[in-house]
Amino acid sequence: MSFEKKVQRLEEIVRALESKDMSLEKGLKLFEEGIACLRDASTELSKAEAAVQVLRERTDGILEATDLRA
Amino acid sequence: MNSRPARPAARSGGRQGDTQGEPDTLALFDDLEPPPAPVAPRPEGRARRPAARSDEPGLSPESAISVATLTLATRDIIEGAVEPLWVRGEVVGLKEHRSGHWYFTLKDENAQIRCVMWASDARRALAAPDEGMTIIALGKLTVFPARGELQLRVLRIDSSGDGLWRKAFEKLRKKLEAEGLFATERKRPIPMLPSCVAVVTSADGAALHDIVSVVSRRCPITQVVVAHAQVQGEDAPKSLVKALHRVARWGKADVVILGRGGGSREDLWAFNDERVVRAAAGMPVPVISAVGHEVDVTLCDLAADLRAATPSAAAEAAVPRLSDLVRHVRRLGVDLRDAAMAQVESAKERLEDVGVAVARAASHPIERRRLALEGIAGRLHALSPLATLARGYAVITDDEGATITSATAIQPGDAIVARLHDGRIHARVERTEPGEEEVNE
Repeated sequence: MSFEKKVQRLEEIVRALESKDMSLEKGLKLFEEGIACLRDASTELSKAEAAVQVLRERTDGILEATDLRA
Repeated sequence: MNSRPARPAARSGGRQGDTQGEPDTLALFDDLEPPPAPVAPRPEGRARRPAARSDEPGLSPESAISVATLTLATRDIIEGAVEPLWVRGEVVGLKEHRSGHWYFTLKDENAQIRCVMWASDARRALAAPDEGMTIIALGKLTVFPARGELQLRVLRIDSSGDGLWRKAFEKLRKKLEAEGLFATERKRPIPMLPSCVAVVTSADGAALHDIVSVVSRRCPITQVVVAHAQVQGEDAPKSLVKALHRVARWGKADVVILGRGGGSREDLWAFNDERVVRAAAGMPVPVISAVGHEVDVTLCDLAADLRAATPSAAAEAAVPRLSDLVRHVRRLGVDLRDAAMAQVESAKERLEDVGVAVARAASHPIERRRLALEGIAGRLHALSPLATLARGYAVITDDEGATITSATAIQPGDAIVARLHDGRIHARVERTEPGEEEVNE
């Protein structure tokens, strides 16, 4: 799932939990799913900084991205 | 300018020496227009005159030459004497022949000249000029023997204002618009957090520098990958298309920035090239155009999913501010916990309500169950609410599944269902005892 989808799902879950009473079973399931989304999204946001790369086509036609400074 | 002696010139009167640029050439032509006989000897033929013999072609009635000979000779003289020249004039009566050749007249107030532009040259023109449009044409002066007419063979044209550019642009814009290439429905949203942004531009241009610095400031976790392309000059369209295709084939970019820093209209023209516009429109991921020019919109701008005024603005549109996202996600985490707690609270209240019914319904014959149920409800308070609730509580419903929230809502003999976390208990009501009753605690 993309970061965006995860955040959207998380927003949906929060809205559902906020807006209507539901069975605890269902509420708990949603909560757990929400926690998982939250964890994944936070992990994605704490990735390492990326270096600038250049996309080149090798003579054999294979594309590869290599660091710009390299 | 140059005065190359033309081959047949010596023969028809030695005109070399006075062919200096256009006016002289035209004068030369005028001189040649009357029949040959009177032309030949007079002006500067003096030196040759004694040697001239009356049987030389065209020098006596007996040696009269044919019209074809005259016109062809004239053509050779003119073609040999004049380099291609840039001529400015107004286009009149343009005919685009089926073969692709263009015929028109260039004129100004007091003069005109017939022009032809062969298909091979016309193809390279931006567009056919409109009637009355002032253009600058690079042409080679010649003679059209079949008519004995002076003619300019046009090699290149350029509109003196922006007429031709505008016309070519409009023509292609209309065509692509009719195909739906610019339709709003085709525009895709830019992803919230792209993990990779591909930049199609010159690897050593200022545009790339701007984009990289904005991305690394706003969202350093996003990868920038450069697909180098020539962004101006004759090879730019091909180079841009190839770079776009590289990015599409690579498949790891979430969004593409296509552009360059500002430039003149000519500099930006590649971004109006049909091949480039089509390649941009055909990209599998959203494209942000960033052709730095405030005034003119390019066709790539129209085909892109999003248009940015400058490369920096494109980078800002491509990536979020990381700190904003972090804040947003943190906030969602807090909201999630709050909402879950509120659910627990509300469930507890409901549980207390149904507890009454459970106690009543199950009191006598299934005393143990009643006690167990109370125990569960009691533990609810003691432990972390969510984890505890997962372990169990019961909801009493009638046999149609409607929740029973009051002891008065049910009659002895009615079937009820107690729903627990791991299953259901089907029971029948012995008797009911409406009234206050303390449960759970």
